[in-house]
Amino acid sequence: MSKKKAQGTNLLYQLIGEARNYDDVIIMGRGDPDFDTPAHIVAAAKNAMINHHADYSPPEGLLALREAIAERVKRVNNIDVDPATEVVVANGGQEALFLMVLAVLSPGDEMIVPEPNYNTYADSLAFAGGVKVEVQTYAENDFRADPADVAAAITDKSRALLLVSPNNPAASVISPPDMQAMLDIAISKDLMILADDIYDLFVYDDFEHVSPASLPGGKERALTLNALSKAYSMTGWRLGWIVGPADLMARVKELKAAISGGASIISQHAGIAALTGPQDAVEMMAEAYRRRRRLVLDALDAMGMKYGLPQGGQFVFADIGFTGMDSGEVAQRILTEQHVLAYPGSAFSKDRKDYLRMTFLQPEEQLIEGLERMKVAMRDMMAER
Amino acid sequence: MASQTKADILAQHETNAALKTPAPGQITRHAKDLGADGMLSPLDERIIAAASEALEAGQTHYVDVPGIAPLREAIAEYLNTSFSAPCQSSNIIVTAGLQESRFLTIQKIGETFDSIGIPDVVHPGVQKALGVRTRNVVSIAVDADRGYLPTLGAIADAVAGGCQLIYLESPSRLSGAAYTSDEVDAIGQLLGESGATVIWDQGLAPWVDGGCRSLASTEDAPAQVTTIGEAFPGMGLASWFIGYIAAPENQIPAMQSQKQIMAICTSTAAQYAALEASSLFPTAHPPRLARLRSAKSDATESAQELNLNVIAGDALNVIALRTSNDSAAKLRAAGFDCADGGDFGASEVIRLNINTTTADALQALR
Ligand SMILES: Cc1ncc(COP(=O)(O)O)c(C=O)c1O
Repeated sequence: MSKKKAQGTNLLYQLIGEARNYDDVIIMGRGDPDFDTPAHIVAAAKNAMINHHADYSPPEGLLALREAIAERVKRVNNIDVDPATEVVVANGGQEALFLMVLAVLSPGDEMIVPEPNYNTYADSLAFAGGVKVEVQTYAENDFRADPADVAAAITDKSRALLLVSPNNPAASVISPPDMQAMLDIAISKDLMILADDIYDLFVYDDFEHVSPASLPGGKERALTLNALSKAYSMTGWRLGWIVGPADLMARVKELKAAISGGASIISQHAGIAALTGPQDAVEMMAEAYRRRRRLVLDALDAMGMKYGLPQGGQFVFADIGFTGMDSGEVAQRILTEQHVLAYPGSAFSKDRKDYLRMTFLQPEEQLIEGLERMKVAMRDMMAER
Repeated sequence: MASQTKADILAQHETNAALKTPAPGQITRHAKDLGADGMLSPLDERIIAAASEALEAGQTHYVDVPGIAPLREAIAEYLNTSFSAPCQSSNIIVTAGLQESRFLTIQKIGETFDSIGIPDVVHPGVQKALGVRTRNVVSIAVDADRGYLPTLGAIADAVAGGCQLIYLESPSRLSGAAYTSDEVDAIGQLLGESGATVIWDQGLAPWVDGGCRSLASTEDAPAQVTTIGEAFPGMGLASWFIGYIAAPENQIPAMQSQKQIMAICTSTAAQYAALEASSLFPTAHPPRLARLRSAKSDATESAQELNLNVIAGDALNVIALRTSNDSAAKLRAAGFDCADGGDFGASEVIRLNINTTTADALQALR
């Protein structure tokens, strides 16, 4: 069967479509945890349907939820916020992301973006009429964004610096000294910071996550997003938030009202239960990702693949340059021949045709099976060369 | 040191009047709040059961961007039967409520046109959506004597002036007045002749006795009309925020892609709840309308006895009045809230929801 050569996101959608045709497919692509939402959170949602569906919520979210968020960002991220004025609830991290970009960037403004990065930032920036200025990072340095490169990318149109740590897809974590250096640059060049902490509970080995807003001078120039999606396996609930200084948050709040109004009351009550209830399920899931990460890295080592060490997050971004093939082609062959879906790097950036992104978001036995099948596909591809 | 960059951002924001347009509450705040867009109503146990069963069965993950397939089908079916609007599930995008429907249509369909025609009196959510990213707006005059609907002449003038995208509400979100079937035909004919495109907010149509003609039922509509509305209003889902967009197929990809960018998908709990609501709606809605019919006629009668100036409107869930400046204050003093017509562009109007306390609120206006 001859296939039209799709690229980027189109290719991704084509692969996802093809994957649906295979009963035995193993999906190692999508950033959706395999765990279902913990039962006590589902129970809280049901209770909300019975007892709280008539609760009034302003566009920025229920105060009780904003208080729980303020408590969480203080405890986990050491960011001090006033729940009354400095927290806005959003329909997932995705809407939070879109709101952050719109709140800060206007047509012609530049945002400095370490690459590779989560591609919705580029899409949101395009909507806002902003300009992406890329700072490249590489597998051999574990995708470290070098503050010196960031400083060198600044122009008189620079308005914001994007810091996604841990990063998707690169899985790098910005070290505390680098984060301090990034903030120093932002302060000296008067840039706003957009911080995405969505993977902050997934940090491995001795790496350490720090939120720029927790550092002196950080909060007044940073908007920080997070969501329940990844940490609590709540991707389907669409619940996230932004915290930041009251003056900028007033703008975020008005944008939220203009884009979608409030978040669903049921999801909000589920969110309160998630943040204030028992946290053992979160710990159990984080522990599972730690084990799975080891499995994946061992398998990649056995395949001779290079990768940036996943310091955090739920992915590994592996260099398949040694195959001499484009990642789209490799992903296509792994899918068609072995029914394993990994995302081609070209879906994240046109400059990342040599990479594949794999997730740790499937049960261990599936992950092992998927990696075995990948090994076979890679061996076959190499044998043809 | 204070940030100049931030000061610049805030200064830009200060001048964005559209984004700051005040608007009615999305849902009822308290028992005497008659001003909200979304009225709270009891939630059927079967909806609670269906939504919680879906969640318990693991429907807690991302789903398709435009919505779960059965809900898209149910909405298409509903639009076919209730509005004679020929559409299929591939024409439907499920949204996180009406404001998201407004935003996606205004911004993404709007992107492909030089300008957008907006009625001088319209729900303030429209101004808000426009405030996010400026579009070139052509104002369309309304007829105060026709419940503040734009006149057909004004629509035709805008189109003749080169404005090829028009935003319309029927019924009006302020007065509840709807275009007659003949007027809808005339607008449809104008579309046929001019090739213009319309975004048609029909969210209040389910509240019109005997139904309300949709522009999507006219001959040229399938290629030129996008409708938006709340999914199954009155079923207790106002605070869950669930709405729809029904668009010509060629307009779906851009909006779907934007929905992915700003939301990924709509909450699964709300979608499964709406799916169950779709099957209950045909039997649950008529008795509710019957109750509203008598409540609205009582309210209208007492308003007339009190010499209040009632604006004729077809939607049974609201009553709009032409009043003096201090009416809203009078209502507030008596503990009631109303929707302020000034937010819509008609400062002489207030809008009250119809429920058991509406009659008391009218007394406060005496
Ligand atoms: C870095 C990053 N930010 C934000 C999001 C949005 O997540 P959600 O909208 O599901 O909360 C994602 C999702 O993959 C992500 O990877």
